[in-house]
Amino acid sequence: MRKEDFEFVDSSLKQDKEQIRTSLTYWKDAWRRLKQNRLALVGLIAIILITLIAIFGPLFTAHTYREQDNDKINTTPALDIYQIDDGLFVYVSRQYRLFIVSEDGVLGDLLVNTETNVNLRYKTYEYNGEEITLDYSYKFSDDPEYKDIDFTFTYKDVETFEKHKTVLNKTYPFGTDQLGRDVMTRVFYGARISLTVALVATLVNLFIGVAYGAISGLEGGKVDNTMMRIVDIINSIPLLLYVILLMVMIDNRGLWTIIITLGSVYWVGMARLVRGQVLSLKNQEFVLAARMLGVSKGKTITKHLIPNALGPIIVSMTMMIPTAVFTESFLSFIGLGISAPTASWGTLANDALGGLELFPYQLFFPSLAIAITMLAFNFLGDGLRTALDPRLRKG
Amino acid sequence: MKNYYVGRITSAIFTLFLIATITFFMMHAIPGGPFTRERQLPPEIEQAMLERYHLDDPLLVQYKDYMLGLLTFDMGPSFRERGRMVNDLIALKFPTSAKIGLIAVLCILALAIPLGIISALKQNRPIDYLVMFSATLGVTIPSFVIATVFAYIFAVRLGWVPALGLTSWKSYIGPVIALSGYSLSFVTRLTRSSMLEVLRQDYIRTARANGIPEWKVLFKHALKNALIPVVTYVGPMIAAIITGSFVVEKIFDLNGLGVYFVTAVEKRDYTMIMGTTVTYAAIYVVMVLLVDVAYSFIDPRIRLGKKRED
Repeated sequence: MRKEDFEFVDSSLKQDKEQIRTSLTYWKDAWRRLKQNRLALVGLIAIILITLIAIFGPLFTAHTYREQDNDKINTTPALDIYQIDDGLFVYVSRQYRLFIVSEDGVLGDLLVNTETNVNLRYKTYEYNGEEITLDYSYKFSDDPEYKDIDFTFTYKDVETFEKHKTVLNKTYPFGTDQLGRDVMTRVFYGARISLTVALVATLVNLFIGVAYGAISGLEGGKVDNTMMRIVDIINSIPLLLYVILLMVMIDNRGLWTIIITLGSVYWVGMARLVRGQVLSLKNQEFVLAARMLGVSKGKTITKHLIPNALGPIIVSMTMMIPTAVFTESFLSFIGLGISAPTASWGTLANDALGGLELFPYQLFFPSLAIAITMLAFNFLGDGLRTALDPRLRKG
Repeated sequence: MKNYYVGRITSAIFTLFLIATITFFMMHAIPGGPFTRERQLPPEIEQAMLERYHLDDPLLVQYKDYMLGLLTFDMGPSFRERGRMVNDLIALKFPTSAKIGLIAVLCILALAIPLGIISALKQNRPIDYLVMFSATLGVTIPSFVIATVFAYIFAVRLGWVPALGLTSWKSYIGPVIALSGYSLSFVTRLTRSSMLEVLRQDYIRTARANGIPEWKVLFKHALKNALIPVVTYVGPMIAAIITGSFVVEKIFDLNGLGVYFVTAVEKRDYTMIMGTTVTYAAIYVVMVLLVDVAYSFIDPRIRLGKKRED
């Protein structure tokens, strides 16, 4: 090996090999890891969208959540339309109400029913002085020849039995309910109520839980013992029973009743979590330093302890919101929640039960809304849990 | 060890007492009484009714009487179902709820724990994704949606199962699915995450390094510790499930305890509210107690009187 085989490396190259990485704070690192988790991002985006829809959605729909149109009850999201004359289309609802409808699905007027014959199963309607006859007996016929025919229409002596096409309902994209209210507006509006309840109840829980847990953890000793005993007892009480009793006791089925009820009951888990965090933090140097410098207990909690325990608190909060949505919809479903005409997703689902056989879409949309919200929060919560877990933090 | 159980039992009894007390006073704070009707009763009759059921006594006296009755397991007469005792009514309704509930609990335990373990062992493989996907879906759909959709599709549309009541074995399918859906998914997720957590720990690596067969590592060393959070959740869950769910019983028209509690609250049937609550609370407290006993088997430190830190 000769000396010429070696040469000096230029000093600039040396520097190039040096590893330079900007230091990442806890939150930056968490955000970096959250961004890598695609499901969590989908959840986050979905939550932002749902929130925007809840705030602005009802403003942009053509109807209001309480506006009733007694003509247009129970119209479906998809309309089977029949062409009975040149450029004249009709839609018949499942309760044999006949509507004029445009070819692209804009719902027009309800036609006046002039005669109903239950035995022969036909109905006549009046349109511009002419008579339209709707024969719905084919549905009840066993004859295989008529198996594909639902209805026939007779207008100006011409019989129409072939469906023209199926179009989406342009006037009411999600259809209407049994009082002729727009289901889409109501689902959007329900998002407002359901999310408000969930969010405020969670904040109340958060406030009580964090304060309780922090005081208990920081004080320690007898105070801690007593406070945790109380938590143990509350924890061993079946809470749903109390939610039901409280709802009946306050007897005012408003938004605030349900918020207070949910907010006052479910803080126990949060209190335990915060206490555990505080216990592990309070003997660390920075807390001792703060205490020694004479920082008051309240300030120690708000300025030093809680900011350091924020990760698990946020995770637990993201998991609390969907639980609150669930509980709220359950209460509304059993008739103890929000009262009419205000609507949450639970009340919408409950209202839809009566007509489920004929109008399943009325249950479908609010249920879908609940499921999407739950899914989004679950994804985000799972993502946050991994992103904020210090054990998984690398470098 | 003896002290541990004595302490637990004492606190269980105390909790039960507390629940009965809170319910009693909350219930009397609800506006309206059992004899408040749309149509006003003549004052003499109302007075006679109140006297008959001792409702004109001071509240504290009523409380004392009720609690003394409770000590001998006598929950008094129902205020709204004339001539029937609360004990009998509960004995009538509870078996329906318990039957469906127990089947649901067995389904949950038999499915959720194995699925969770498989999912944890095959982490990030297709089967894990499949299990987690269905489990996530399960916790997002409310039971009332599962129940109504099931009833609509299988009973109304297809006619495969009876729509209402419990007439054949087929009619159990719907209620059991609706009852177990959420918990099944939740327990699966819980088992998976706690199993993963345990498998990462040093003592598992040590066990493997010592050449202990893999099945023994999994079932003897890992599973035992991984089940602690599952047991914590399952105890109260059993109590909640076997005492019936209002939603499920309402939709499938079952004559169980879940529906009865809500109707009792609506009708202000005081003794019946107390009866259902105390029954539920008693089962709940017993389950929590059993969970504690289970802990002491899983984690010997607890038996030795050391405090469990969670």
